[in-house]
Amino acid sequence: MAVVATPGGRRTGALPRRDADARAQLAEVAGRARPAVAAGDRLIPVPGPLGDALANGGLRRGAVYTVDGARGAGATSVVLSFAAAVTNAGEWAAIVDPYGTVGGRAAAEAGVVLERFAVVRHAPAPRWSTIVAALLDGFAFVAADVPRHCRLGDARRLAAKARERSAAFVAIGPWPAEAAARVHACASRWSGLGVGEGLLSARDVHVEVEGRGAPIRTRLAG
Amino acid sequence: MMSHSHITRTCSLWCADWPVIALRRRDGALRGVPVVVRERVGSREVVRAASAEARAEGVTRGMRRREAEARCPGVAVVDADLALEARAFEVVARAVETVTPRVVLERPGVCAFPTRGPSRYFGGDHGLARHVRDTVADVLGNDDDADSVRVAIADGAFAARLAARQASAREPLVVASGGGASFLASFPVRALGDDALADLLARLGLRTLGDFAALSTDAVLARFGAEGRRLHDLARGLDDAPPVLVEPPADLVEMVELDPPAARVDTAAFAAKGLADRLLARLAERGLACTRVVIEAETEHGERLSRCWRHDGALTPAALAERVRWQLDGWLHAHASVGIDDGRTDVRERQDAAAFADAGLDTTTGALTSLRLVPDEVVPADGRQLGFWGGDQLGAERADRALARVQGMVGYEGVVTAVVQGGRAPAEQVRWVPWGEPREPLQPLVVDGEVPSWPGAVPPPSPSRVFEPPLPAQFLDAGGNPVVVSGRGEQSAPPASLRCDALPARGGPVVAWAGPWAHDLRWWDPSTRRRRALWQVVVANGHDNPHGAAHVACLVSVEGGAAGVEALYD
Repeated sequence: MAVVATPGGRRTGALPRRDADARAQLAEVAGRARPAVAAGDRLIPVPGPLGDALANGGLRRGAVYTVDGARGAGATSVVLSFAAAVTNAGEWAAIVDPYGTVGGRAAAEAGVVLERFAVVRHAPAPRWSTIVAALLDGFAFVAADVPRHCRLGDARRLAAKARERSAAFVAIGPWPAEAAARVHACASRWSGLGVGEGLLSARDVHVEVEGRGAPIRTRLAG
Repeated sequence: MMSHSHITRTCSLWCADWPVIALRRRDGALRGVPVVVRERVGSREVVRAASAEARAEGVTRGMRRREAEARCPGVAVVDADLALEARAFEVVARAVETVTPRVVLERPGVCAFPTRGPSRYFGGDHGLARHVRDTVADVLGNDDDADSVRVAIADGAFAARLAARQASAREPLVVASGGGASFLASFPVRALGDDALADLLARLGLRTLGDFAALSTDAVLARFGAEGRRLHDLARGLDDAPPVLVEPPADLVEMVELDPPAARVDTAAFAAKGLADRLLARLAERGLACTRVVIEAETEHGERLSRCWRHDGALTPAALAERVRWQLDGWLHAHASVGIDDGRTDVRERQDAAAFADAGLDTTTGALTSLRLVPDEVVPADGRQLGFWGGDQLGAERADRALARVQGMVGYEGVVTAVVQGGRAPAEQVRWVPWGEPREPLQPLVVDGEVPSWPGAVPPPSPSRVFEPPLPAQFLDAGGNPVVVSGRGEQSAPPASLRCDALPARGGPVVAWAGPWAHDLRWWDPSTRRRRALWQVVVANGHDNPHGAAHVACLVSVEGGAAGVEALYD
């Protein structure tokens, strides 16, 4: 934060008025520094524009969310931001990653607390729903790549399980059942990398959130 | 660290089979016949308590109701009534109160008090214990009921509670001061009241409290955490008092005026429920939990009533509200019969009141006008807050159980957590550690205070999807020839397009790129030497996209002439 020096030595005319910018910064820091979410809170707040796009600004415990998007569009980053919000709130998160492709370093850079972020790297398709159900028993947040032929019955059972155990469940990919909100990562735009020079440095992810009511379009800096 | 400089010498009073006794005191027809008190646990009906007659036939606590009936035909099966048990116990509590004002109720049937003052007055622990036994036996009147009273004195509430179980009806048990540990040594670990830990200890070959107590404190703390440490202290005969006592903040007293005065339990209990919720919520705000609470009430005639309740572990709102309700029940029912009979009091209430009158005890003489809850003993609420390792203890245990189950399904190596370590390519920068193993990197980020450099490491941001092995791809220059790297780490031509089946639209033209980072790995060992080059590449993905030009960023590797997509910035 910028420190403003007042000229005139001891004159204590008035402290520098905090402008809107400083306030916003302060609010952001306060949001990040919040120690924990009380276990009774139904909502796990998600910081930043992604949270703003969700109803009530966060993930509701016991609700199902879906995240999808073409490869490279940013769906995984969205899931990691959720996991970061959850683990920073002191909760435990798990992800079912049958092909073992989630990047651990990217998770750390997204702000995920790795000690509380369990990754299931082998998940045979026939046991997929059993594994997810077992995770929902113990975790406040479970994300899972949905296998290609997920049956509606299985999906509904998992949704019921999530509701019963008050766990937020994020289905990555096509989800046959209902969801509190569907997050579509539409496209990413990268900057910083030129032709033969520079490095990937920043990107905008276009995210559409389709929940109750009209879809909200938002851009995330990433 | 906590000190154990003083261990409160405690007298514990236990009425064996209190649920049966309470029922028999209400309903004389149950005397002399075998009685089983049943309760519901989940969908099963189990025996909560059994009378001596039923136990002689082989009925035990926790047995299914059906089996109990089979073993003891003709047994009278009665539903458990917690409120009745608490109400009936008020007689006992008041009798003990004639000896000391510092009675603490643990649950109906069990109460305790520190012996320091009274013991001196009654000429030592033996004298005090006998006096307490006789007083309570007198109050209970009936010989059978009086025979259920067990009194014991020992160092600390835990030892006293166990000692009371061993005391005989005629002779109280006094465990000599300082002899707590040797007294406890022969009890099974299950006596600690933590079944999960008891199972584990039994499997480790530790069957008695003595075995457990013999472990070193540090080892117990390291293996079982703070809760294990607390139980270990108990097993060693150290004080039961919560480890870190905090002086209850004075302004945390919750109080409500009842207007009109509450003569009925449900009216008062309703007010008490809100009071309990508010008290615990305010404590929680300060990161505190309550293990002992004093319930105080004032009647319309100006009497002040107060009673202390203690709970193992932090009181939950439901547990606190239940205890307040029991207590109010005890006070008000005593009144209902002796005071005004407004026609609403039923036979049961009058019988209770008769019991008070028989016992020659004062009874409440009016409706309640105000109610106060005073937290008497508060502890830091570590159950809910972030622990030392940054994790909510409860959450960690839940997660651990779930992961153990999943490991059973997918194999030990299938459940992992990530540890960031040093390395060049994204796949090397992370070590996946199976759940349950120490999270240590193979190639630490910092070695002896120095940060080793990884020449050619790909800088952040890191890709969120990493493929091992790389997805096969074609990495071509403008002329359609594969891009390759010379021995000096220079590319043959600038890349122009990337084709890979896994990319949207199977790849496309390269619009931006950087590299190559040439890695010559393990060059000192010809058998494992690898040479590889990496590029950061942004591929335009113009198809089927309403938002204008979109990008797919990936990390492309060329190794041994074959190109592959190493990672994707998803």
